Amino acid sequence: MIDTLVFVIGGMLAAATSILFASLGETVSERAGVLNLSVEGMMATGAAAAFGIATLSGSHLLGFIGGGLAAGLLSLVFAALVLVFYANQVAAGLAVGILGLGISAFIGKPFEGTTIDKIPKLDLPVISDIPLVGPILFNHDVMVYLAFAMIFVIGYVLKRTQLGRNLRAVGENPQAAAANGIPVRLVRCCAIAFGGFMAGIGGAYLSIAYTALWAEGLISGRGWIAVALVVFGSWLPHRVAFGAYLFGGISLLELSLQSNGVKLPSQLLSASPYLATILLLAFISRDQYRLRLSRPMALGQTYRNET
Amino acid sequence: MTTRRELLALTASALALGVTASAVRAEGKVKMGFIYPSPVGYVGWAHELDGGRKKIVEKFGGKVEAITAENIPEGPDAARTMNQMIADGAKLLMIGSFGYMNDGLKLAKQYPDVAIINASGYKLAGNFGNFQTRNYETSYVAGLAAGYVTKSNILGVVAAYPIPEVIGIINTFTLGAQKTNPNITVKVVWLNSWFDPNKSQEAARSLVAAKADVLFSLYQDTPEVVALAEELGVYSISTSSDMKKYAAKKYLMGMGIDWGPHFIDVAGQVLAGSFKGSSYWGGMKEGAVHVASLTPDLTPDQKKVTDDAVAAMTAGTFHPMTGPVVDQDGNEKLAAGVTIADGDMASINWLVKGVETRIPQ
Repeated sequence: MIDTLVFVIGGMLAAATSILFASLGETVSERAGVLNLSVEGMMATGAAAAFGIATLSGSHLLGFIGGGLAAGLLSLVFAALVLVFYANQVAAGLAVGILGLGISAFIGKPFEGTTIDKIPKLDLPVISDIPLVGPILFNHDVMVYLAFAMIFVIGYVLKRTQLGRNLRAVGENPQAAAANGIPVRLVRCCAIAFGGFMAGIGGAYLSIAYTALWAEGLISGRGWIAVALVVFGSWLPHRVAFGAYLFGGISLLELSLQSNGVKLPSQLLSASPYLATILLLAFISRDQYRLRLSRPMALGQTYRNET
Repeated sequence: MTTRRELLALTASALALGVTASAVRAEGKVKMGFIYPSPVGYVGWAHELDGGRKKIVEKFGGKVEAITAENIPEGPDAARTMNQMIADGAKLLMIGSFGYMNDGLKLAKQYPDVAIINASGYKLAGNFGNFQTRNYETSYVAGLAAGYVTKSNILGVVAAYPIPEVIGIINTFTLGAQKTNPNITVKVVWLNSWFDPNKSQEAARSLVAAKADVLFSLYQDTPEVVALAEELGVYSISTSSDMKKYAAKKYLMGMGIDWGPHFIDVAGQVLAGSFKGSSYWGGMKEGAVHVASLTPDLTPDQKKVTDDAVAAMTAGTFHPMTGPVVDQDGNEKLAAGVTIADGDMASINWLVKGVETRIPQ
């Protein structure tokens, strides 16, 4: 029973980490008014690049940096399409996403089906040994805590800094922002690149830390979950994070119910993380007035300098 | 805009190209096409199929030319790849997934001079055969060994979907474990997904949290469950490939597959022009399945029990699904001494007593 509790609650933090990185990055991008649907492809590219680099160099740190940069570069392709050539954001995002999946297969080809050592877990002398609390909270790898910290960093930057205010202004009303001297396209480009970098880190977390394996299709839909969480979390970092942890937790709960022999149809259980996350976040975000405060009004709209 | 004349010219040149291509073919090697549903990689289903292709090339050397396509999704992509290979002059197609069956059969009817063999399918035609392995024989041996090594008496299975082949494997695995350890419980986690390494690893963790100390990675094409088992210090079993290299200490055994004998047989028929579609269901007797890297942790007496089972199945004197066998609800499915018919085994949809998890309805 205690093992199962530790598995679900403790495992939740690690299970959510990759989605959390990606969805926080997407939150920043969308708050700047750019809907980037290529998260799945960026995560895959980041995962494959990180795996290759970590395998060849033996360094997980280099792997994470390389994975983030690879996905960041890919997101710049998207940025060029929507900011320079004024392509439709939805279409460009889908196209770059497919491109990213292809690139990941290409980069990952020599490593298909191989494994790598995981990054070591935190092992604090006394705290990690506290029964229940220790294994649940203090027995994870460093990326789990970094992802958690990012919730507050991004929340703070968006809300309290000039950078964040500029970024939100660009997402609300780019024309007005430009009239105030904010370089709209530069801000959007940086937001996209940041989103790409975070998606790459999220993908890298799967391939070199969580599952520690590269296989084509490794991301299997987690990028789409990340995009959906941003909307259901009404563009607020703490809500998006809540959704990610909830999703991670219920995914594990579902498996745990199965392995403990609970007699429910497994298809229903498999669908439960999606259902529960959507229902809960929809319930939290039901206040239309408050939702309007956080929804970027110019989301998905093409901005041209001359207009 | 393309005019009709240009179109005609294009068609004519395409025809001319086709003619020259087939002229070249006539004097060259016999082409054989191999289509895999997943990347070949280092282990797994496609890797083993590709091993069969290598055996053909080894055997017939200069007479054949193998062309391959990996990671082809079932559906239009697969149909297009098959068409392309036939257009390129392939005389034999090995289509490595159940989901390729209908497209393959359609092409077989269209091109009667092309031989097609389909993995795990059941349909047949004059030039369309199917093949699969009796993995339930090796999983029985895995069960025997698992029954010996478990301390918690709980065995965990990570499986994708409850198709008959998977159910058959779980059944004989359970019967084998009960033979050497009557108190065994088998827990299954159904992933409801063919490919999601992150989830299968989470499923494996959940089984260990539920006290399983042997993990059975059933048709997971990638080694994450085996690697995780090693990390957590529990035993693991894998299908398709020997995954010992991912679990040096705690690998219980691999359910090895060798497509070589069958593929060589088929390729020989194609070269001789005598191919006829048939159903191949290879077991230990045919050398199609074998126990790979059995753990050294068994005592000599225990090892003898597994060896004897292998010998009996190889000789064809023992079938793991021999009564008395009772299903999960306690109904007698096979009376004492009765062996299951091949047809019933191929379409089995009930789990034996001792498996805790139900089949999703």
